[in-house]
Amino acid sequence: MDSITECLKEVYDPELGVNIVDLGLIYDIQFAAGNVSVVMTLTTPGCPMHDMIVGGVKRALQTLPEVLSVEVDVVWEPAWAPTLMSDEAKEHLGYM
Amino acid sequence: MFRLPFLFIITGLISFTLFQLFSLFDFATWLTVFGDEPRYPTGWFRVHLLVLGWATMIAMGAMYQLIPVVLQNHRLFSEKLGFVHYGFFAVGTAGLLFGFQSMQVMWIAGFATVAFIGVLLFAINIGVTLIRARKWNTITVSVACSVAYLVLAGTSGMLMGLNFYFEQWGDFHEQLLGAHICFAAFGWFGLLITGFSYKMLPMFYLSHGHSETLQKVVIACWNAGVLVGALSFLFNGPGWVKWSGLLLVVLAMLTYSFHLSQIVKHRHKPNPGVGMKWSLSLAHSLTLIGIIIVIISPFTPDIMAQSRMAVVLGWLYLWGWVGLTLLSYLSKIVPFLWWTHKYGPLIGKKKIPTMSDLIDDRRVHIGLSVIGTSLFMLMVGLSWNQPWMTSIGGSLLSLSSLFYISLIANVFTK
Repeated sequence: MDSITECLKEVYDPELGVNIVDLGLIYDIQFAAGNVSVVMTLTTPGCPMHDMIVGGVKRALQTLPEVLSVEVDVVWEPAWAPTLMSDEAKEHLGYM
Repeated sequence: MFRLPFLFIITGLISFTLFQLFSLFDFATWLTVFGDEPRYPTGWFRVHLLVLGWATMIAMGAMYQLIPVVLQNHRLFSEKLGFVHYGFFAVGTAGLLFGFQSMQVMWIAGFATVAFIGVLLFAINIGVTLIRARKWNTITVSVACSVAYLVLAGTSGMLMGLNFYFEQWGDFHEQLLGAHICFAAFGWFGLLITGFSYKMLPMFYLSHGHSETLQKVVIACWNAGVLVGALSFLFNGPGWVKWSGLLLVVLAMLTYSFHLSQIVKHRHKPNPGVGMKWSLSLAHSLTLIGIIIVIISPFTPDIMAQSRMAVVLGWLYLWGWVGLTLLSYLSKIVPFLWWTHKYGPLIGKKKIPTMSDLIDDRRVHIGLSVIGTSLFMLMVGLSWNQPWMTSIGGSLLSLSSLFYISLIANVFTK
């Protein structure tokens, strides 16, 4: 599971310059028999990067040898809030 | 979708460059003539090159790019229809511009109709997309209203074009002109910019938790102002009715300005990029100027009735707010368009630049500052009828605009 999280840290929001894990966009990760299921959100409904970030998650995880398939579910409940960001992300954005 | 918005935006950038080059070649003396008598062939040609060839072309491209985003990935009704729309609108605008410059009424009437068909196709494409998506909120309502006003502006414009040829309406032509300007300047551009800012500002400021109630007040006041203003021109209403229309638009602007401050207050990212900061300052400045005009205009009816004052205020609104806001937004829209096309498919594959790497924010700020200063000089020159200052201000405005637009165009090489 750690390798999956580390892999997702390579997927960046191109406007904010912060990876999606530190942004707090990843709600849940399940891994079973080579299949990864990711439940995630975006900073705002109608995020212009929707397709690209979801595609990025799939492409990044498919580089892992133990992963056979990837399923990404984008949800809006619970809504993303700035409090979900890691301290590193907050510092990067000048929020702290 | 990349090609359709790209086509509109690149055509807009070319028109903008041509406008600045034309202005530079005559040392902006056309503006002095325009200040004395705005209604002459070169004046019509230049204004429509800026308003149709640049601002409307860019706005249409931005709408094709942003509508699917605003509608949460709901597809545009027809990309193919978008290309047909481009064909009609680009050919119609080019022919209309030639007609204005050479004062050939047949061309004006014919190509105004072709451009209007383009506008109708655009309205159908956006309208069907919005109706199918059924996601009605303040952004989509603003967009829908702005497109409706574009159709009304196009209708009145086409009727004026036909009247150039058939000459059947006499003084009604003047009344149509007033309504045409109201629909285009305040209705189309006003509601488009305010509507999209409800998406753009929170997105780039990462604002969360702000109330959206005032957005509804802005839409209501802005629509009321445009309709009162346009109808008062159309039916030759008294001056106080026109003033009431202006008052309503200024009230909308004041509410809008206050609401933008609410969005900024709820930000989680201090630096949204220079373009966004500029758009914010421009909105606040326009509000302040609007309030001053609303207060002094009842006491200075003679000055307000002068065509020079109409040119100064019109230029201030169109260049100072609409134009500069579009230029500010371009510093965000173009990197976004290019990044999604070139780097979007590479997310998660390898290390790629962020959007802010595609454009130098410091240069954007310098460019917009020089444009703003040049515009101020031009306004002073036009207001006090100082041809030398008008020419220097106008030429500097063209030079700085060319610098800025090359900065934007350079994104496509990154």
